[in-house]
Amino acid sequence: MAKVTKIMLAGEGGQGVQSVAQILAEAADNEGREALYIPNFGVEQRGGVSIAFLQISDERIGAPKFDIGDIVVALSSRAVYRVKQYVGENTVFVYDASIDVPEEDLPKNAAKVLAIPALETAKNELHPRVFNVIILGAVVAATKVVTDKAAKDAIEKKLGYKFEQNPKLRELNYQAIDKGMQLV
Amino acid sequence: MSEKLITEEKRVFMTGNEVVAWAAVAAGAEIMYGYPITPQNEIMHYWTRLAPKYNRKFLQTEDELSAGFTTVGGVMAGRKAFTATAGPGNTLMQEPMSMAEAMRLPTVAIIQQRGGPSTATVIYSQQEVTMTTFGGNGEGLRIVYSTANHQELFDYTIKAFNVAWKYRFPTFVLGDGYQAKMRESLTVYDPEQRGIELVKPEPYVGKPGTPGVDREPGHYRNTYNVEEELYEVLQDYFKDYAKMAKEVAEYQAFDTEDADVIVLSHGVVSRGAKEAVEQLRKEGKKVGYFRPITLRPLPEDQLKELANKAKKLLIVESAQGQFAKLIKDVIYGSSAEVVPFFKPGVGITTEEIAAKANEIL
Repeated sequence: MAKVTKIMLAGEGGQGVQSVAQILAEAADNEGREALYIPNFGVEQRGGVSIAFLQISDERIGAPKFDIGDIVVALSSRAVYRVKQYVGENTVFVYDASIDVPEEDLPKNAAKVLAIPALETAKNELHPRVFNVIILGAVVAATKVVTDKAAKDAIEKKLGYKFEQNPKLRELNYQAIDKGMQLV
Repeated sequence: MSEKLITEEKRVFMTGNEVVAWAAVAAGAEIMYGYPITPQNEIMHYWTRLAPKYNRKFLQTEDELSAGFTTVGGVMAGRKAFTATAGPGNTLMQEPMSMAEAMRLPTVAIIQQRGGPSTATVIYSQQEVTMTTFGGNGEGLRIVYSTANHQELFDYTIKAFNVAWKYRFPTFVLGDGYQAKMRESLTVYDPEQRGIELVKPEPYVGKPGTPGVDREPGHYRNTYNVEEELYEVLQDYFKDYAKMAKEVAEYQAFDTEDADVIVLSHGVVSRGAKEAVEQLRKEGKKVGYFRPITLRPLPEDQLKELANKAKKLLIVESAQGQFAKLIKDVIYGSSAEVVPFFKPGVGITTEEIAAKANEIL
């Protein structure tokens, strides 16, 4: 059986975790690999913790959801509590450094716990809107599940029409990916 | 206006709801009748985007009762008509689908199961099995395909129109909220290019000529005055159904020959079941996999054979035994012990199935 990379992204509605998952899934698909992405959705349109389950492999993928992720990313304090159950001994747990969660509430059983200053970097160095793209870069660097080029191509496919109108946006998004990769 | 949506085979990456809309266009569906409900909304959205480009039609009705009855009307007018619904919408849909059973109308309905009872969740379940196979006041004279992935969603949506019009039983594609909303790859194709002949629809009413003179009159009834008359009509229906069942029933199985435990599942749950059985086999465990693709009619002979060969049947489903009831009815009197693993309204992972199978080995 081929190795499956299991990725979970969780944040507040509107933080863009679903976009990150979709771009990664499409990047993998564009490379001819198998990807399965499923959003965890409820009745609310916004507010509440938004979770994305993403799996990437060289072969067809089994069940859409999983018990333990290889990388679990939490972008808000509520998200930390919500996704703790998906962390196992081989999991890399990533959270935003600005999250106000007591040390003892972070998962203790993870292989690695990484705090990355994505929100701060977005605000101070780039633009708050590319916060999630920094996260995308971080996931790419941490998992190497797709290349940064494939991720950039997938962004181009999704937002190309916006980049046409404002090429600076392209540059900003690409910078955000690179920045995110450096943070890991 | 281009004539065909799919001119050559290609790999695509999309949600299940989008897959259904594409498949319906590819199958030559002419009109969709629908009323919005999560998680099937995007079938309507994508259909309404595609329909004007390929000369197809759409009618949004005031509720699911109406969506079902307009689908019945569309079929009677000789149109390849379909609808899609979920949960409480499926409940309302039972009345028109029962009429379709009574009049042998080839309606096609896509069901994206959500949690129940009532409004419950908009997310996922396998709790619409009883209703989709045996709902309404009737005898379950329906064909129900339970799909597991996007390729099947595409293949069986096309097939649903064909078997419906060939055998004249209302036909259902039973998906779920996960399949509706998730994205994965599949290959889309033009069925005729693959040698799949698309069964032509024909009108039930409004045919040319004078009834009784140029042609047989069309008597399509859902009302009878005399008990015996209804009884007789139903006997013919049962005969047709039994004949059809042998040609239509489908399943997937592997490693069942020497298996002590056979994992039985359907739909999206069978993805995890397949993986779990593969993993356990690698560890040398005597586990097998069986999955009916049609829940109506079931592959009865194969199920009976398994139930007399294996020691245990582990029935896994995201409902409190709705699928198990169908199976138990077929295998009644067989030697295998039935072990339930029910998680109503909740997804089931590969890890959970493997652990449970291991526990009962």
